[in-house]
Amino acid sequence: MSIHTLMFGWEYPPFHTGGLGIACQGIVRGLRHHDVHVTLVLPYPNQEKGTSPFPEEDVCFARLTKMTGAYASRSVQSHSYKEHMLYDDNLGQSIEEYTAKSLEVTKHIHPHIVHCHDWMTYEAGSRSARHHRTPLVAHIHATELDRTNFCPDPWIFEREQQGFISADKIIAVSHYTKNILAQHYGIAPDKIHVIHNAHHLVDAAPPLLRNNPSKHPPLVLFLGRLTVQKNPEQFLHVAQRVHASSPDVQFVMAGDGPAFTHLIDRACAMGLENCMVFTGKITTPEVQCLFQKASCFVMPSFSEPFGLVALEAIAHGVPVIISKQSGASEVIRHGFAVDFWDADKMADCILTILRDGSLAGQLRSEAPHAIRNLTWKTQAGQIVALYKTLTHTA
Amino acid sequence: MNPSICLYFQVHQPYRLRDIRITDIGKTEMPDYFDHEKNRTVFRKVAEKCYLPANALLEELFHTYPGFSVAFSLSGTFIDQCREYGPDVLASFQRLNRTGHVEFLAETYHHSLSSLVSTEEFCEQVTKHVQTIRALFSQTPSVFRNTELIYSNHIAHIARLMGFTGILAEGTDHLLRGRSPNIPFVPPSFRLPSDQEKMIRHHRPLPARGRHITVLLKNYRLSDDIAFRFSDRSWTGFPLRAETFTDWILASAGHTVNLFMDYETFGEHQWADTGIFDFLRTLPRIWQEQGLQTKTPSAVIRDWNQRNTDVYDAHSVISWADMERDLSAWQGNQIQNAALEHLYALEDAIKQEGATTLLEIWRRLQTSDHFYYMCTKYWNDGDVHKYFSPYDSPYEAYRRYSHALHDLQYRLPTL
Repeated sequence: MSIHTLMFGWEYPPFHTGGLGIACQGIVRGLRHHDVHVTLVLPYPNQEKGTSPFPEEDVCFARLTKMTGAYASRSVQSHSYKEHMLYDDNLGQSIEEYTAKSLEVTKHIHPHIVHCHDWMTYEAGSRSARHHRTPLVAHIHATELDRTNFCPDPWIFEREQQGFISADKIIAVSHYTKNILAQHYGIAPDKIHVIHNAHHLVDAAPPLLRNNPSKHPPLVLFLGRLTVQKNPEQFLHVAQRVHASSPDVQFVMAGDGPAFTHLIDRACAMGLENCMVFTGKITTPEVQCLFQKASCFVMPSFSEPFGLVALEAIAHGVPVIISKQSGASEVIRHGFAVDFWDADKMADCILTILRDGSLAGQLRSEAPHAIRNLTWKTQAGQIVALYKTLTHTA
Repeated sequence: MNPSICLYFQVHQPYRLRDIRITDIGKTEMPDYFDHEKNRTVFRKVAEKCYLPANALLEELFHTYPGFSVAFSLSGTFIDQCREYGPDVLASFQRLNRTGHVEFLAETYHHSLSSLVSTEEFCEQVTKHVQTIRALFSQTPSVFRNTELIYSNHIAHIARLMGFTGILAEGTDHLLRGRSPNIPFVPPSFRLPSDQEKMIRHHRPLPARGRHITVLLKNYRLSDDIAFRFSDRSWTGFPLRAETFTDWILASAGHTVNLFMDYETFGEHQWADTGIFDFLRTLPRIWQEQGLQTKTPSAVIRDWNQRNTDVYDAHSVISWADMERDLSAWQGNQIQNAALEHLYALEDAIKQEGATTLLEIWRRLQTSDHFYYMCTKYWNDGDVHKYFSPYDSPYEAYRRYSHALHDLQYRLPTL
């Protein structure tokens, strides 16, 4: 008999702002590989008509009357839900409505387990698990502490903590996140199960077919939301140091976010106007192109539960320098992991990669090889194993 | 007849590298490549856990059991670190030497891979080591052990031309082909190009070339029972008692059982609370009771004067490292090979320059550990404990090393 999981999600491609949506999709597809029956609940604007934008079968919609401005920062701009936002001032109200509606639309199904993703869905998850008398799995993709430089909104923090407490098991995307839960949320470590994120990049160009990077000036890439968590300002400091030693290096800061204009001002003030390019919002083909041109990729995140983008860089054969304060550093064996505050060392790692071809060559060839087994199918296998222990003991 | 037992302990410490930066390269004031604080800390830690207590124990055993003997090879970088961080440790080795129960072997002063790259540098380092051992212990080594038991017919031949009567090697299964490692072997006869032989003669550490050289092979099963498995609770032999181990030696039979291992096995790799010191303390008593003799390598060779000694034929290079017992721990990936190539590309310029400080720094960069730290063989498994490294990753090891080499190269006007 296949396991039936009732899953509460918030972001889901094409409506997502970051890793949460991509990870949810990876997990859902991975679980289906293992013959798990997934009923997925997602927020959806009430007035929308027409076909479901989600290709997955068995998606229930918690239709929200006022999903004010949902999905604004989603990656596909041309979509008709432009006016909606997933995260806005009325988030509390939206969550309340999502909780009520999602319980309503799922009350007649009979799942073996309830699985919810990040704090927005924790209330729905725990009430649903009580209603269906099933075990509850709370999946944590990012904590409020990661997003806010450890100055959390107390209301959100409390809802996260409440979710962790009511869950039977917590899945953290890294040991790094597990430690945050144990240290800052007071959660017993044996309740937290680490299952790393995976990547599903079959379309990445094989590293051997990349353009010869030596023909162009070296390009150093940052890609991510321009928010506190991603620490984009650090990239400027790193660039400044690299620029001082190697003036021919080009830097690209790809992505959009609240800090966009501030960062441009800072870059000019730091004298980087001729070597730093800001792309703003960026499409998938553009991302591919940048990865193909990049000599190395930098992820200086202040606090990164996982950091899927680093795996993406590796799959494109780009050497990476990533923050030690990240979950990705637990699975990336062939790269440099540096403390997020150490701009000097990050710059030094970049310069070493640019100087030593044998080092760059080894990182380019070994790193993708080392993550080839980190697929959503294998990671979902670990989730299934966890489901089984929970449903057997329940 | 019972086999005799030959105990040899390797004693070595490398000079670990500082986190210097590209921006330090070529500065007027030459940056210091070596992390003295780290090196001192590690040295003192190992001294307290291993060198001092183990030496004290051996001294006691030598007084109680007049027939008990061991051999040591102290790397030159270890001796240098003794001078800097531990005169007490050096003094304790000198005390052991005065008991007359200890033989010191020769090796490359800087525990280097020079035997694989530069015969001239290889000879010079062995000469320097032999001179140092003679000055410190009034003994002239007659048996050679190469870095990490790196061995081949070629290397055995060079060691013979250097004047050694014996050389140690790993007893690998594929070269033994069913024969016991517990008997001495000889390498196949071998010739080098005459200019090379001439060069070795010119740099020879000992007065005359040897007519023969005998190879003593490590019994890796019994050696690793102590060095690697002693405290392994999942091992069927756990807990290992001196009596049981002696039974295994007797069952192993042959002429001599060669137990070769790092000295740091006692107290550092196997902590004191595993009972490793009690084990070592008990062995000589049991051996005496069972009529087993210990012999140093030169005594084994002296007592072995049989004709028709079997040939140990090592065409390709072997070592005692890892499961592979080859060179892949130091020459297994691109960054290791690039670093090694870069290092020895500086040899001519360094030697022409004639500055002894630069030569010494270049030689400290030759220590095999630098390359070992860059090894990525098991790195994919996430098994970081497989390798003892002072650095976060093989790439960090490479970065520091590469910076040091680039700076050193910058100091050489001829390049």
